[in-house]
Amino acid sequence: MKYSYITPRKKSLLTKEAVLILTFFSISFFLLFSTYAFLLFKEYRFQKELQSIYDKKAELKTSIANMKASIAFIEEEAALANKVYTTNSVLKDSIANLFDLVPDRITLSKAKILKNGLILYGITPNKDVYAYMLEAPLRSIFAKTHTSFYQLPNGWLKFVSTNYLDNEFEDFINED
Amino acid sequence: MKISFPRHILYLTLFSIFMIIFTIWFAMDKLIPMGKEYRKNHIKLKKEKIDLARYQDFYDKTLKHFNQTKAKNRHIIEALENRFDPTRFKTKYGKYFIDLSLSKISDANQSKWYEIYEVQTTSKIKSPTNFYNFLEALNKSEWIIGVTFPIDFTREGELIHSSFKMQVYKKSDETNSTANENSKKPAKGKS
Repeated sequence: MKYSYITPRKKSLLTKEAVLILTFFSISFFLLFSTYAFLLFKEYRFQKELQSIYDKKAELKTSIANMKASIAFIEEEAALANKVYTTNSVLKDSIANLFDLVPDRITLSKAKILKNGLILYGITPNKDVYAYMLEAPLRSIFAKTHTSFYQLPNGWLKFVSTNYLDNEFEDFINED
Repeated sequence: MKISFPRHILYLTLFSIFMIIFTIWFAMDKLIPMGKEYRKNHIKLKKEKIDLARYQDFYDKTLKHFNQTKAKNRHIIEALENRFDPTRFKTKYGKYFIDLSLSKISDANQSKWYEIYEVQTTSKIKSPTNFYNFLEALNKSEWIIGVTFPIDFTREGELIHSSFKMQVYKKSDETNSTANENSKKPAKGKS
């Protein structure tokens, strides 16, 4: 049995205005908080990425320093080896020059090549041959030259020629 | 005049004012500083990436130089790493002389960079060039060997006896381990 001619109005907990306002603020807060969350996430990512860049840079720095040290070491080794090679070549030329220096008429019995000098032992037919053919070229090479002669029974002369490049060697010879 | 104002509208207005104040506070206090920080970090990261690229570039160049230096001096590096073998030396260089003998000189004051050997050779007087060839061959040997003064040549009939010292260079154990560590490390940094 009906008591009214109109259909009853539906009643809700919230009014239309309240729903509108709540919807508006809900959307606003959603946007605000999602932006905040996005920024927080980005901050975290930046920190992670920066840390990995710093680690990578430190690793590269160490590697570069190690490589530089290795390069310096290899260059040092190469310099040493080249110095040795040059010394050997110079030595070879010096010995070749020494033997070329001695004329056929003079016979060497012993030669001592020192760092700063040369000591020759040998025999010569006479002093003139020695003076012109061996002493003259020796004098042009060495700063000081000294020769002692000893008479041999066959008339030839035995000689000992000490030649040096500087005074230090003279002291060395005297000590010897 | 009386203004009729429904109560629920009053509540809604107060609620809206509160919400607006909260929104403004949140934006000013949290979002804007974080946005600024985000911009700052973005620029910083970009700069760091450029810096890292520079480092990588320098690393690549250094690695290239390192490999070139190693390749260029391979013979010297290997020669210094090779352990000196007197028997092998005699076999290899004995052909230049009639006789070749060598003995190691043990000296407490000896350098860690080389060992000293006393070498005695005998060759024919008619073939002095053998000695020059020997010195020339030393420069191509599998060891770094330097002949040092004094060198004695003594004639005995048709033979020449020579006696000299030679320094056989080597990597000292200390430098060897350092160099090995150094040469291993660059590979680690390679990306």
